Amino acid sequence: MTDEMDEKDLAERVRLIESMMAEGRQRTARWGWTFVLWGVAYLVATAWSSGLVGGSVWSQRYLAWPVTMIAAGIATGVGISRMRKGQPATTLGRAIGATWKAMGISLFIVLMSLGISGRYETHVFVAIIGAMLGVANMASAMILKWKMQFACAVVWLASAVLACFGTEEQAGISFLAATFFCQIVFGIYAMFLESQRRKQRGVAHA
Amino acid sequence: MPELPELNPVIHGKLRLALLSLLSGVDEAEFTWLRAKTGSTDGNLGAQLAKLEEAGYVSVEKKFVMRKPQTLYRMTEAGRTALAEYVAALKELLGSAVISG
Repeated sequence: MTDEMDEKDLAERVRLIESMMAEGRQRTARWGWTFVLWGVAYLVATAWSSGLVGGSVWSQRYLAWPVTMIAAGIATGVGISRMRKGQPATTLGRAIGATWKAMGISLFIVLMSLGISGRYETHVFVAIIGAMLGVANMASAMILKWKMQFACAVVWLASAVLACFGTEEQAGISFLAATFFCQIVFGIYAMFLESQRRKQRGVAHA
Repeated sequence: MPELPELNPVIHGKLRLALLSLLSGVDEAEFTWLRAKTGSTDGNLGAQLAKLEEAGYVSVEKKFVMRKPQTLYRMTEAGRTALAEYVAALKELLGSAVISG
């Protein structure tokens, strides 16, 4: 290669490869809303099942968890399918998605079984939900190397441990506190980060 | 003086290189996503993807999702190897340009 244009052309090819690889890695996925949605769903289900919500429909307390969880599951499925439309599949996305799907399916089966068998009890409920959400958050945090999500995993596991040793009231309070901090506060924080990232990307593309 | 490497002509085309670079970072991608990322026209994109498919560097899957047609492109192992060899050759050529310059 002797020509200066050739050298420029090759350097341009290198820049093209780098920029396209970076484009391929960029994600527009927004997950913060799912944490907020499920956090609100847990709080609604808790309020409904505790009899804190008045009205004839809400008097069927045994329906609180199944109805709220199924509704939240459908809303999540619809939201994710819309969000993923046209977006490429990646190994990272599949790994994180698989973790949450596996957790959701397991949790649904176990909690439904406990509900149907009549062996539903606050300690057991909080211990199971805390452990499951702790595992999913921890796996996701390890894959993404995200300390804030790891902190959420620790809070959920602490809630599960407290449910094993504490009173029923303490278990309930620990569940509500974990829901507030690890679902609603963390979800809003994730949404804020996602919007910041999108703004930065917009500036970079302008 | 050592012989300089040849650049693979199938990959050297700008759009084809961009497509392979994009596909190297994902499992599979839709035609529409590739079009949005490269800013190419449907005709040109289709033609370049066909060349990559002919060379065995990408595989195509056509299916229907909720009754809408969807075309998915994946990079094959041969494509991955060819891109890695192309990048290595490019580095070697640029290295020799720096030395001779």
